[in-house]
Amino acid sequence: MTTMTNHPAPLVQMRGMHKTYGAIQALRGVDIEFIPGEIHGLVGANGAGKSTLVRTLAGLEQPDGGTILIGGEPATIHDPGVAAELGFAFIHQELNLVSSFTGAQNIMLGNRAGAPTRLRRFTGVPPEARAVADRIGITFSLEQPVSTLTVHQQWLVSIARALVHDCRLLAMDEPTASLGAEEADKVLGVARDLAAQGVAVLLISHRLDEVTAACDRVTVFRDGAVSLAMGRDEISRHAIVEAIVGHNVVPGGRKNPVPPSHGAPVVLMARNIKRGRNLRNASFDLHQGELLGIAGLVGAGRTELARVVFGADRAEDGIMRLRGADYAPRSVHDAIASSIAYVPEERRAEALFLTMSVASNLHITTWHKLRAGKTPLTSVRKSRTAAQEMSKRLGIVLRGGGTEQPIGALSGGNQQKVVIGRWLAVNPDVLILDEPTRAVDIGARSDIYARIREIALQGTSVIVISSEFEELLECDRVIVLSSGTTVAELTGDKVTVNEMLRHCYA
Amino acid sequence: MTVIRSHTVPATAPPPARSYHRTLSWIARFGTLAVLVLMVVGFSLASPDAFMSQRNLINVLNQGALLAIIAAGLTFVLVVGHFDLSFANVVSLSGILGVGLMQRSGWPIPAAIAATLILVCLIGLFNGFLVSYLRVSAIVATLATSTIVLGVNFWYSDGAPITAQAGVFTEIARGRILGIPTPIIIMVVILGLLWLLLNRTLTGHHTQAVGANPTASRLAGVRVGRVTVLAFVVGSLCAGIAGLLLAARIGSGQVTAGDGFLLSAFAAVFLGASVLRDGEFHILGTFVGVLIVTVMNNGLAILGAPSFVQYIFQGAILIAAVALSTTSRRILGMQRT
Repeated sequence: MTTMTNHPAPLVQMRGMHKTYGAIQALRGVDIEFIPGEIHGLVGANGAGKSTLVRTLAGLEQPDGGTILIGGEPATIHDPGVAAELGFAFIHQELNLVSSFTGAQNIMLGNRAGAPTRLRRFTGVPPEARAVADRIGITFSLEQPVSTLTVHQQWLVSIARALVHDCRLLAMDEPTASLGAEEADKVLGVARDLAAQGVAVLLISHRLDEVTAACDRVTVFRDGAVSLAMGRDEISRHAIVEAIVGHNVVPGGRKNPVPPSHGAPVVLMARNIKRGRNLRNASFDLHQGELLGIAGLVGAGRTELARVVFGADRAEDGIMRLRGADYAPRSVHDAIASSIAYVPEERRAEALFLTMSVASNLHITTWHKLRAGKTPLTSVRKSRTAAQEMSKRLGIVLRGGGTEQPIGALSGGNQQKVVIGRWLAVNPDVLILDEPTRAVDIGARSDIYARIREIALQGTSVIVISSEFEELLECDRVIVLSSGTTVAELTGDKVTVNEMLRHCYA
Repeated sequence: MTVIRSHTVPATAPPPARSYHRTLSWIARFGTLAVLVLMVVGFSLASPDAFMSQRNLINVLNQGALLAIIAAGLTFVLVVGHFDLSFANVVSLSGILGVGLMQRSGWPIPAAIAATLILVCLIGLFNGFLVSYLRVSAIVATLATSTIVLGVNFWYSDGAPITAQAGVFTEIARGRILGIPTPIIIMVVILGLLWLLLNRTLTGHHTQAVGANPTASRLAGVRVGRVTVLAFVVGSLCAGIAGLLLAARIGSGQVTAGDGFLLSAFAAVFLGASVLRDGEFHILGTFVGVLIVTVMNNGLAILGAPSFVQYIFQGAILIAAVALSTTSRRILGMQRT
C-alpha cells in the first residue's frame, strides 16, 4: 500500500482481511500496516470496518480470510490473551476502569509480571505505576478512586495501564470524543510522546482536525474497504472527508446571519440556574422557533443545564419561566407535560432500547395516541403507519428491514434520527439536543442539522449542545458556558468558532 | 437484507460460510422448540399408547396449567428487569387463606377468593415498593417477603393442611367445560390477557422499555416506578390465582403446596426466553417452556422413572437449551456492538 521505503519495518502487516457477519461484509480485503513510531489515524463512517479491524487485532474477532504478519512472521491472534502477549494494548471508549479502585490500583491491574499468586502491594503508588505515570506526565493523585477523576484523567490512567507492561502497539478508540479541546490536546500529546518512543499508535477518531494535526498516516475506511491511504505529507482534510462520504461536502459556513426567529417572543427564560459543582450561574432566553446553540468545553455544565430544564435534575437555585409562567419541573414527566423534550448525549445508555424494534423506540413517547379505536389496546396498523411516516419525514434509512427490525441494526445517524423522531411525534414547544451528532458519521451530520432546522422552522424552539463548534455555526444564536456560568451570548456575525473558543478559554 | 454489490468483492474473497451461518441462526431461534418436538417424538416412540393418547395430552395441559399461570406472571417481573423469589410461598398462602376463610370463617366462596387475591396483590405492591422506591435489590426484597409469607402461612395454618369441602370450590379445578378441564380454560384466558397486556397496551410497551433500559425510559417520560410495581403485582396475582386453583385441585391449603413451582417456573421462563427471540422474556416463549417442563415430567413418569430423575433432567435441559441458543447467538455475532 505504502510507497515509502525509508521507514522502520512495520510491526504489523494485515493482508486481504475479510470478515462477514451474517449478510454483512464488515471487511472486504483490507490491506494495512502499522509502523513503530507512527500515529496511524483510522477514520470512516460508523460500520465502515475500522472497529472490526481493530477488534481482529485485539483477538476479539477471528477474520474469515487474510493473513496477519507480526514483525514479518505470520501470526494468529486467537484471543485477547495472545494480543496482550504480543504487547498490543487497546483502550476502548468505555475505558473499562474499576471505578472504585484508585488510579494506581487500576494501573497495576495491567501488570502481569510474576506468578498470579505473587503477593502484590495494593495500597499507595507502587514504583512501576509511578514510572509509567511519570512517563506520560500524570500530575494528579493516583491514590484517589478513578470515579473522582475527570474523563481526561481517566484516559491517562487507561493509557498508563496499557504501558505498565511492555507495549508495542496502542490502539485508542475515540480518545477525545468527550474531551474539551485543551484536554484532547493533552491526550494527543501523550500519544505523540509514545510514538516518539517507538510505539505504534492507532487512533480511531471522528474529529478530523485532530486526525490531520496528530497523525503520521491516515487510512480511511468505507464499506469495509480502504478508500484512501495517506502518508504524512499527503494528509488533507478535504481528501479525507471525500473518501469517507464518497462525495464532496462543503464544510458548513454561516449561511444566514439574520435568523428567521429574529424578534420572535421568548418561550423559555432561565436565570441564574445553579446545581452542584458544575452548574453555577447559567442564564439564557430561548425564542420561538429559534435554534439556540450552547457552546462550552466538557465540564462546563451544558448537560447539567439541559437536565435541569428537562426536570431530570432539580435546580438548587435560580428561576425559569416558560411561556410567561413560572416553571419548576419536579420530574421528567412534568417537563414533558410542559412540552419540553430532551435528546440525551449518551445515546446508547440514555436513549435507545437496543433490543427493541425501531417502531417501539419511536413510539415510546406516543403509545397512548396509537390506540385501536376506543379500546385500551394499541393498534399494530397505526403503529406501523406512524413509524413509517416518521421514518420518511426524517429520512431514516431502514434498508430492507422495515420498522420492526431491532434499532441496533441501524447506523448511529439513523438511530439518532429515531430518538429525535420520538420527540417530534409529540410536537414539543422546546426540544433540547445534547451532542446530536456524537458517533454519527460525517455524511449524516449535515442531514441531521438540516432536519433540526426544519423542526425549528415549524415553530419548535431548539437548543443544540455540541462540542463541535463548527456545527454550532448553524445556530441563530449561541451562548457560551464556562465553569457552569453563562459567559457570552453571540449573535449575528459574532457566531464564529473563534469567538466561541475565545470565550470558552477566557 | 442488504444487497452485496458483488463487483466490489475481490475475486480472492473466500466464500462466506453460508450454510454454517444458517444452521446457527436456526438453532438460535428454533433450538428450544426443536427440543420440545424431539421430546414429544421421543416419548411417543418410547410409549406410544400411554403418551400420545388424547387423554394424556389433555392431562399434560391440565398439569401444566397452574405452572403456566405462575410462570406468565413471573415473566412480567423478569421483563421489567427484576426478580421474584416470593411467588412460591404466595401460591401456598393463597391456598391456605382462601380455604381457611371459607372453612374456618365461613365466608362465601366469592368473598374468600376476592379477599385472597386482594391480599396477594398487596404483597406484590409491597415487593414493588421495596424494589423501585426503596431501591432494595429485588432478590433480597422478595426473599425477605417470601420468608415473612412463609411465617404467616405457618401461623395461620398451624402447619397443618386446611381441608376444603368438596363442592363448588373444588369443582373450579376439577370440573370441565365442553369436556375441557377448567384449569386449561382459565390458563388460556389468563395467558391471552397477559399477552395482550404485555404486547398491545401502553403499560406493556412501557414494561418492556423499562426492562430494556430504565434510564432511557425515565428520560422518555415513562413512570418507571409505577410500571415496576405493576409488574410485581401481576406476578403476585398470578401466583395467587394458581394457589387457589391448586388448593381446589388437591382439596386443601398447605404450607408446602407452592414449593415445587419455584424452580420449575424459573426453568420454564428461562427456557422460554430462548424461544424465537434473543434471550428476551415473552409470554408465548414462557408457554413453550412450561410445555417442555411438563411434557418431560409427564413422559418420565409414564416411563416409570423415579422422581429424582425429573429434577436432574429439568436442570440439564435448562442448561442445554439456554447454553445452545446463547452460544449460537454469540457465534453469529448478533450481540455485536
